[in-house]
Amino acid sequence: MASIARKNLFEDIPRFLVAQAGIMFAVSLVTIQLGILKGFSRSTAIVIDYARADLWVASKEMVAFELTSPLPADYINKSMTVTGVDRAEILLVRAGRWHGHDGKLSPARIFGFNPDGELFAGWRLSDGNLNDLKQPYTAIVASGVQKSLGLDETRIGSIAGLPVTIVGTAEDVQSNASSPFLFSSLETANTYGDAEINSSINCIRQASGDLDCTNSFKNRPLGQKNGDLAPPKPLSLSDPISYVLIRAKPGQDLPQLKQRLLSALPETQILTQAEIAAITRNYWEVRTGVGFILGLGATVGFIVGMVVVGQILYASVADHLREFGTLKAMGAANSVIYRIIIEQSLWMAILGYVPSMGICLTLGQWTQMTRGIMILIEPSTAAAVLLLTVVMCMGSAIFAVQKVTRLDPAIVFKA
Amino acid sequence: MTAIDFKRFFGKMAPSPSSPVRVMAKETAIVASHINLVYRNGGEEFNALQDVSLTVKSGEVHLLMGPSGSGKTTLLSILAGLLTPTSGQVHLLGEEITQFSRPRLAAFRLQHLGFIFQGFNLFPALTACENVEVAFHLKGTHQARRQAIELLDQVGLADRCNHRPQALSGGQKQRVAIARALAGNPQLIMADEPTAALDSQNGHAIIELLRSLAKTSGRTVLIVTHDPRILDVADRVTDLEDGKIVTKLTKAKPGQQ
Ligand SMILES: Nc1ncnc2c1ncn2[C@@H]1O[C@H](COP(=O)(O)OP(=O)(O)OP(=O)(O)O)[C@@H](O)[C@H]1O
Ligand SMILES: [Mg+2]
Repeated sequence: MASIARKNLFEDIPRFLVAQAGIMFAVSLVTIQLGILKGFSRSTAIVIDYARADLWVASKEMVAFELTSPLPADYINKSMTVTGVDRAEILLVRAGRWHGHDGKLSPARIFGFNPDGELFAGWRLSDGNLNDLKQPYTAIVASGVQKSLGLDETRIGSIAGLPVTIVGTAEDVQSNASSPFLFSSLETANTYGDAEINSSINCIRQASGDLDCTNSFKNRPLGQKNGDLAPPKPLSLSDPISYVLIRAKPGQDLPQLKQRLLSALPETQILTQAEIAAITRNYWEVRTGVGFILGLGATVGFIVGMVVVGQILYASVADHLREFGTLKAMGAANSVIYRIIIEQSLWMAILGYVPSMGICLTLGQWTQMTRGIMILIEPSTAAAVLLLTVVMCMGSAIFAVQKVTRLDPAIVFKA
Repeated sequence: MTAIDFKRFFGKMAPSPSSPVRVMAKETAIVASHINLVYRNGGEEFNALQDVSLTVKSGEVHLLMGPSGSGKTTLLSILAGLLTPTSGQVHLLGEEITQFSRPRLAAFRLQHLGFIFQGFNLFPALTACENVEVAFHLKGTHQARRQAIELLDQVGLADRCNHRPQALSGGQKQRVAIARALAGNPQLIMADEPTAALDSQNGHAIIELLRSLAKTSGRTVLIVTHDPRILDVADRVTDLEDGKIVTKLTKAKPGQQ
């Protein structure tokens, strides 16, 4: 009996392929929407995930990783004096306006950290070396954003009139919710973040006695040799910083250490890495509505998929209605017929799922490589989509079964 | 042959229409009494069958004839337990099937009935053998393939086992359908216009097959037909007109009058 389902399916190959294309469309839609949502969510806090700090000292006003108020730089020293702190490192999060070699502007997110540090830069470099950042006015760029920054082989650009030379590429670190990421030494990042456009006012006294003034803003000329510039000035204790990353001494009780840090550093909140990552993801998913929109996309994908699969299965059952009627007339129990329809829907589910997953994984790799946008298909996502596909197919099988249940076996005599 | 049937019919049983329940399963295969069927379509009602009573004896080939629209298919559907009459009873092999639940009816059909359709109703995706096997599988029979081949051999199609219906002629398709109807050796075979979709040559072959099938095995065969050639194989004919039985006669065979 079991073979009726399979044979009905493969009887008409072109028809089968058209039906499978519909199911693959539905499965891919759900997978991609879910993958984008998951990939987006993961990317918003991936920089945090790569860090190796036990605790993060953040401003009390911090809303999300990239939306925070400054802390005084001397918190680094203060936190070092707290018992149980093994290591503390500064992290700067700055915004800048990138002036590409191609002349185009782009926003940029600049992170300043100590290249010799141990707590922040856990990401993998596909080229370059953290030590190269010790050269002034250098940065490591997140992979996937080169295009947005208009980076070519020369790998230069400027921020606030200061030159930037890209010395490396960090893999899989860019947030899809943010501007292109650049990583620099503390000094360089601080200088980029600080530098204003030079402005000057030139006034000429007119014959009438009036002053005619022009206000001019000047970017420093591009392509200036790094050596011609004064090196970035070291971070001073009065400079604002964004975070202090803390590594606890081995065996420390983190909640207690949190308390001690909190009393030593007023106006702060002390978070574990998981906490600050969760706050950040939650911010993007809930507070910005981006997550809602992507979640809605996945939901709509599921509904569209359900409808498409339902139509296909229903049409297929309608096509074979006479055969089902014949089976019923012959005396087949309803359960036999249900089994055929359900088996057919499972075949359709599996045969739609497998190629779709292949397509989505390939597509995901492509978007990651070319746009830096991750379509995250973890095993759990893949499993969830498989379950969803089966549910979609079985759900529509139930609709189709209704048609057969109500089928009057007397139709078999109708020509 | 017909003489024996004739004697059996008139000699052993002559159930009065008012007491059909006493009939014996051994002798009568089908007893229908006072069947009415009203088709309701929206507000419209149509009396397709009016007070139809009919007895079909075990082992006979019984024809249902009549003009188009006279209710032949409707009556056949009721006798097969595919359609519930508006009133009246049907006894098949001694059991009152009009009292059965749907699942019980299905089980009864599976065990005792074989169907032959005007349009063959084969499964186009399955081969000839598989089409016959389906019936065996439904009945839970083992070694379905071997038995399917045997049946196809009986209808002269053993060499077409692996052909799909699209590769068979109309007559061959109907023979596969007959093989399927014979699977599990049911006591009752019900056929609706088995030759109507066939040309005269193929139709003739099917008639021959039905004849040998009925005469060698003692099965009861009920055939709805327009085809006068089938009269040759029939023991009795019931004529329907406008939902009523007009004659119920032992037919006079042209060759054996
Ligand atoms: N589902 C239905 N609803 C309403 N009327 C119906 C329905 N099925 C059949 N009828 C009517 O019942 C009558 C008998 O139909 P039936 O199919 O039994 O005729 P038939 O004798 O088999 O005709 P034919 O020789 O053309 O096959 C016809 O007038 C038909 O229009
Ligand atoms: Mg008819």
